[in-house]
Amino acid sequence: MTVLETEQLTKQFGGLTAVDEVDLEIEQGEGVSLIGPNGAGKSTFINLVTRRLEPSYGEIAFQGDSIIGMDPHEVVQRGMSKSFQTASIFPELTVKENATIAALAAEHGSFRFNFFRNQNSYPAVDELANEVLESVGLYDERENEAASLDYGNKRRLELGIALAAEPDMLLMDEPTAGMSPEETKSTVDLIKRVKDELDLTFLLVEHDMEIVFDISDRIIVLNRGSVIAKGTPDQVQDDPAVQEAYLGGVEE
Amino acid sequence: MSDEPRDATATAATDADAEVTGGLGDRWASFRDREISTVLLTVVGVAVFPFLFNNFLDGYTQLATLVLIYGIFAVGFDILLGYTGLLSFGHAVFFGGAAYAAGIFSASVSSSPLLVLLAGTVFAVLMAWIVGFLSLRRGGIYFAILTLTFGQMSFYLAASPLAFLTNGENGFTSVDIGHLLGVIDIHGGVPFPLSMLVDNMLYVFVAVMTVLSVAMANRILHSPYGTVFRAIRENERRAEFVGLDVWRYKLMAFIISAAFAGIAGSLFTIEGNYVPLESLYWTESGRIVIMTVLGGVGSLFGPLFGAGLYLYIENIVSGFPTLGPFWHLILGIVFVVAVVVFPNGIWGGIEYSQDRIMAAIRFTRENGIKAALRYAVDLIVRKVKAVFQRISSIPTRLLGGEDK
Repeated sequence: MTVLETEQLTKQFGGLTAVDEVDLEIEQGEGVSLIGPNGAGKSTFINLVTRRLEPSYGEIAFQGDSIIGMDPHEVVQRGMSKSFQTASIFPELTVKENATIAALAAEHGSFRFNFFRNQNSYPAVDELANEVLESVGLYDERENEAASLDYGNKRRLELGIALAAEPDMLLMDEPTAGMSPEETKSTVDLIKRVKDELDLTFLLVEHDMEIVFDISDRIIVLNRGSVIAKGTPDQVQDDPAVQEAYLGGVEE
Repeated sequence: MSDEPRDATATAATDADAEVTGGLGDRWASFRDREISTVLLTVVGVAVFPFLFNNFLDGYTQLATLVLIYGIFAVGFDILLGYTGLLSFGHAVFFGGAAYAAGIFSASVSSSPLLVLLAGTVFAVLMAWIVGFLSLRRGGIYFAILTLTFGQMSFYLAASPLAFLTNGENGFTSVDIGHLLGVIDIHGGVPFPLSMLVDNMLYVFVAVMTVLSVAMANRILHSPYGTVFRAIRENERRAEFVGLDVWRYKLMAFIISAAFAGIAGSLFTIEGNYVPLESLYWTESGRIVIMTVLGGVGSLFGPLFGAGLYLYIENIVSGFPTLGPFWHLILGIVFVVAVVVFPNGIWGGIEYSQDRIMAAIRFTRENGIKAALRYAVDLIVRKVKAVFQRISSIPTRLLGGEDK
């Protein structure tokens, strides 16, 4: 089954075409990486898919339905989650409260009229929040302020928040940016583990080729807004167009 | 240690700690986290307040009543400012609007105080729905300016085009408040046991409403909304991307805060039997911001203290010989000092001192009185130095010499 499909997806900023008629299909359970040199349009593409940006034209379908015109929270409620490039958490709240917010959104939907009900009367939310913290290994830190976590743990918490809704698809924008080698390794292990456990489909934007070749089933290479190559890691590695894009074109 | 809402496990953990150490501080913390204790504390607070205020602070019961009315306003405003992180500069619309609605309702529909209160509050909620719907499209400073605009618009509307309803610049004078539940004279005295603490029924009525309002605010902050509001304050974009409809939650925070403003505005009419046009003026919106920040944003009780201190300076200090005429200046100095020394307002200061005292007791028990005294003197010297340094560095910081 196709989870995400884009057709002729295009975004222009004035005269610049950041994403140029990208056609892409991601199947259920697939781990796909989006790579490309700086300014290739990777982040713009992610922002289009998560509905932060309005496409100039083209179509985005998630699980068969068009999501053009929806608000970001509606797309999330349909099962597409996003992990940000920086550790995007709720710094002054406790680690547990961070997870609780994600659990609330997962259990109650995008809005509910319940401001006179005590939080304690929703044990399912509490349980889900605890599960999330256990799965990213932060249960023991639950009473601490999120801002006090070290960077690696903040990123894990961020990933936990993104996973709380048990999404069908997870978009990750450079999940290991700014991490130490140890933190990177444990994050990669975490991603692999949740992929197996949840049969998670993901789209990863990453600069670190070692990680990309390690965890992707398929790689899509973007250059100047267009797809220049796609295929398994081995196919992409040997593709002359990719080598040219990255090495700057020896023949030119 | 804060009085922000905590979840079940947090309370359970505190309870467990209390059992292990049996410390006074821990027991106090676990007591404070229960809903019923919040209500009880408020009841005790409003019951002894006029007695203390009148006897020790040169106050009078009418001012005590006004403190509670503005306290309700500020508690609600803090849900918007302190918890959701939205600065509205137009809450006079809801306070003054409710005051007018209550007044007009009492004159032309029913004089029952409870119905008048309901009418004013419903009016404020409806206004908030419209104003919030239009202003919340934009964030930050644009939101503040838009709310300010709506506030001033309502002021000029009431001043002249709607003068046939509001009686224009003279204020609405035909307020007619009847007996509470048909029997209790709201402007009368109180029977014996109560009369030891309070001298009129109006205060009792406002005090009951204050307790209900604090209980409601406490309940809202402990509901999922409390967590969601703080999430929006901390990281709005993230809240949107966990799948929350941030816009609707913000609208709810706006409406909820306006409902409290509506209760306060209606009580203001019932209390004064009169609605001044100034109740819609922008200074009223500014007042509530100052009260809330002074008391402590992001705390349940802080705004009540902020309202108290503000009105105390405005009404009592302004009557002091020589100092009196400078009360605006005094208020300004108090505000600056409070914000510099206690960034979390009066309530932040109270919590800080409470933590210090608890720590001091523990320290004394472990190390003996001599070491404790030496430590205390040292600490005070360091703190005073730090404050002086902070204040003396303000000019350099203002000149942009060095970013904090």
